[in-house]
Amino acid sequence: MFEVSLGASGVNYSVERANELFEQHRQEIYRATDRLFARLMFFQWIAGILIAFLVAPLTWEGQSSQVHLHIWGAIFLGGAISIFPIWLTRISPGATINRYVIAVAQTLMSALLIALTGGRIETHFHVFGSLVILSFYRDWRVLIPATVVVALDHFLRGIYWPYSVYGVLTASPLRSLEHAGWVIFEDVFLVISCLRSIREMRSIATRTAALEASEQGFRQIFEDAPIGMAVVGLDESFNQVNTTLCQMVGYTESELMQCTTVDITFEDDIPQGKQNAEELLTGGPRSSVERRYIRKDGEVLWITRTACLMRDVDGHPRNFLIMVEDISERKQAEKALCESKRELEAAHHANQLIMDNSQDVICSVDEWGRFISVSAACEQLWGYTPAELVGRPYVELVCPEDRALTNQVAEVLRMDGKISDFVNRYTRKDGTLVDVLWSASWSEADKIMFCVAHDVTDRARIEKELREAKEEADRANHAKSEFLSRMSHELRTPLNAILGFGQLLERQNPTEAQRTRVNHIINAGRHLLNLINEVLDISRVETGNLQLSLEPVCVTEALEEALSLMRPLAAERGIELLTPAPLEPADYVMADRQRLQQVLLNLLTNAVKYTPVAGKVTVSSSTIGSGPIRIMVSDTGAGIPSEKLARLFTPFDRLGAEQSDVEGTGLGLALCQRLIHAMHGTIGVDSAVGSGSRFWVELARAESPFERVALEKHNGAYSQNGSEVCSRTILYVEDNLSNLTLIEQMLSDQSHIKLITAMQGKLGIELARRHSPDLILLDLHLPDLAGWEVLSRLQIQEATREIPVVIISADATSRQIKRLMAAGASAYLTKPLDMQEFFRVINETLAPRLAA
Amino acid sequence: MRSAEQKRGEHLQRRTKRILATSLFAILWIATVASGLRTLFHYENTPGRVGALPRAWPATQIERSSDRPTLIMLAHPHCPCTRASVGELAQIMARLQGRVSAYVLFVKPKETGRDWDGTDLVRSAEAIPGVKVLLDPDGVEARRFGAETSGHTVLFGADGRLLFSGGITASRGHAGDNAGESAITALVNNQTPAQTEALVFGCALANRGETGPTALCLK
Repeated sequence: MFEVSLGASGVNYSVERANELFEQHRQEIYRATDRLFARLMFFQWIAGILIAFLVAPLTWEGQSSQVHLHIWGAIFLGGAISIFPIWLTRISPGATINRYVIAVAQTLMSALLIALTGGRIETHFHVFGSLVILSFYRDWRVLIPATVVVALDHFLRGIYWPYSVYGVLTASPLRSLEHAGWVIFEDVFLVISCLRSIREMRSIATRTAALEASEQGFRQIFEDAPIGMAVVGLDESFNQVNTTLCQMVGYTESELMQCTTVDITFEDDIPQGKQNAEELLTGGPRSSVERRYIRKDGEVLWITRTACLMRDVDGHPRNFLIMVEDISERKQAEKALCESKRELEAAHHANQLIMDNSQDVICSVDEWGRFISVSAACEQLWGYTPAELVGRPYVELVCPEDRALTNQVAEVLRMDGKISDFVNRYTRKDGTLVDVLWSASWSEADKIMFCVAHDVTDRARIEKELREAKEEADRANHAKSEFLSRMSHELRTPLNAILGFGQLLERQNPTEAQRTRVNHIINAGRHLLNLINEVLDISRVETGNLQLSLEPVCVTEALEEALSLMRPLAAERGIELLTPAPLEPADYVMADRQRLQQVLLNLLTNAVKYTPVAGKVTVSSSTIGSGPIRIMVSDTGAGIPSEKLARLFTPFDRLGAEQSDVEGTGLGLALCQRLIHAMHGTIGVDSAVGSGSRFWVELARAESPFERVALEKHNGAYSQNGSEVCSRTILYVEDNLSNLTLIEQMLSDQSHIKLITAMQGKLGIELARRHSPDLILLDLHLPDLAGWEVLSRLQIQEATREIPVVIISADATSRQIKRLMAAGASAYLTKPLDMQEFFRVINETLAPRLAA
Repeated sequence: MRSAEQKRGEHLQRRTKRILATSLFAILWIATVASGLRTLFHYENTPGRVGALPRAWPATQIERSSDRPTLIMLAHPHCPCTRASVGELAQIMARLQGRVSAYVLFVKPKETGRDWDGTDLVRSAEAIPGVKVLLDPDGVEARRFGAETSGHTVLFGADGRLLFSGGITASRGHAGDNAGESAITALVNNQTPAQTEALVFGCALANRGETGPTALCLK
């Protein structure tokens, strides 16, 4: 039994299609039977005429005769009976009315023929034959009008011509039953036959519908297949092709149907194709081969062709089914792969050559630490041949003391993916140790470690020796500095007595001769004191004990201060000090104020000392973009030969000046260089003999503290939404960086407080004047002004008079506290600070101003 | 472009015309066929004429059997309807097995030649066992036996008395059981027949002019 396809729609489609096919089949039968009867009617008509002519052509009256009525009956009545059903079958074959009219006409034709043959019993079979032929319609209802006509014929004849039916006036009831019985007997079996035929037709229709659905499915698969498919005849001609194949080869379906597979096959592949076909025809298995097709545009197309033989029901070969898959891309990929493989092999060969000719060991190691490949240099490094090393764990070669470290580094390598300059020791084949420098990378994807190793045994030895020598030198230098420091300290004590007593003698009205001697003593003492100070400074720099407070320092102020100190000396020697252009007041450098002042004085002193009388010393500064600021001191002295410039900053090397009458220690420039370097700057000189010298110092530019405060105030005065917030400003004047940092961090979580700092007293006063802070925290020990003086100046100025000042000092004596509170300080906090006390004082001091 | 509505209308119109034409043709067909059949059946069932019947064996040259009944059929040698009568006679002769003396007299007008009586009908009659076929020149014997229609059969008893007169077919040229055949069989078998006369269906033995108005068989 036919099983409908899955799904409701599939069921409906199959049933509907089955009904449609059944109706089509039935209509075909109706039409065919109509045509059969049309021809039969015509034949019977002609046959009736012939019979009439044969049996009763003439009717006689004595010697005279005339055409028998049967002749006219056969012609006209037979024609009349036939013409209507023939006409119906012509204009509407298969129509329902046709069958019933034909049934009636056929039975009437039986009656006519029986009459024409003189009631011959054989002619009565025409009735039964007609019923059988009517059953060709497979519509049992057609038998009804035929049977009715037979019954009516008997009935009417029995009424009007009783003799014509049974030959006797009174027909026997049994004869009637017999006649009716035979007709009904036949009708019953014909009805059964019709019903059975209908069932069979329905079954065929259902099977056909299922077959069509199945075929449709296969056709759909054929048409929609992503690969090219075709049914090819045994002569290689295309019988059926799908769209994919057409697109593949660039032909339309109709064009391809005019071709054979040979027509589109690459010439060299044709013999192989024919051989495959013959193998299939001789019972060979399904074949799948790669070959080339020629597209319509001439392009060569690589395909995989799978072919199988289709046989008819008798097993005879009928067609080939071929499936074609475009493998051009795969072929191109294979070609590219071959190219890549070849290139890879070439690269591998080149690598091998490099490895074999490299002085370094190049090796790869798997994830278990075993050598995969090793270059030939390994034999020189470890004494083992590559064959002896491949497959062997490298750790086995590592010196046992270095294995733990090596394993740790290997772990780091796996995590970081790369290491370099790792040195460990290996035990050579001959038992000696070798230092090996490693650079390695780890491929997580391949789980392989690629390494380059280099014998650094000699280098390691030299480095070790150098390191030891340096350490020894450092120790000696440190000892020297320590010695100088101690000696300088020890020298100060007697020098203090010499200078002190020398100055006392100077005040006791000595004679002119005594005064001269005393001056010699004092000058020599001061010279010795400077020498000791400079030696101490160099010592501090070299031992790292020099404390610097880097802060923004105004270059103009520093230069003006240095110039003011140098003017008396310059005037004394007739040297003109010049500043060719107004100095830029906004230039600040990051430096220690005192040490910068020291360097500038040193440079100016040298310039004045080594410049002849009536010479000129020029001081200037310049900037290059936003880079460092250069301060230059130029003189019109004799200049320095270029060969001596390299020794210029060497301690105690005066470049021959010791032969002159110019006093000096030979430590000034050396100290300047170290100080500038300590401030992260550079110092240098440009000089030409006869033209003078130009010393310069470059220091990093710093932001002006005024601009920074203004900017902070501007940024901090407004919240992000633009509304003004309650913000308080505190100015902290402190020269100690640690203390500054401490206060900054203590106030860092006070978002409403902004802290301004100054490391000098004058700067603090200026910041207070400009920004009117809500509170000033003041240290008493400042480099330029004493704290009490700063307080006093603040009290004098109207702009700063009302600003509360809190003193923060290590001096906790009551006298000092009373003194400053009397001078106007709001509070006095002693160091170390008590944080709770600090915030209490801050809040109490700020509260009235907040309320105001 | 014709609209779908117009097409539908035209189709309906054509269909109506076809139905009307078919109906008209059907009515005409039924009427024609019915009248034709009626004419045909009426012709077949219209009996021929019968002349003056003798009550006893007439004066004739035909020898009457004295020990058994004598059956005489008067026939036209060219009458197609008589073929059925001869067939029925053969049935009777076969059934009665020599218990009747039978003659078939074929009327032969004077001016006719050998072709007149050389028909297959004559040969069929001659082929029936126990039947003597004779020619009846000018229908003299037919007139003696009162026969005017071909196939007319008379049965006389051994004593010369007329037992039966009429046709032995149910209708014109119609083979099969019929009242005449049954009556003859019954009479020969000394049984009482249902009837002693039957209608005669066949061609006229002589021209109307020769036999008068009653001598013609119906067409």
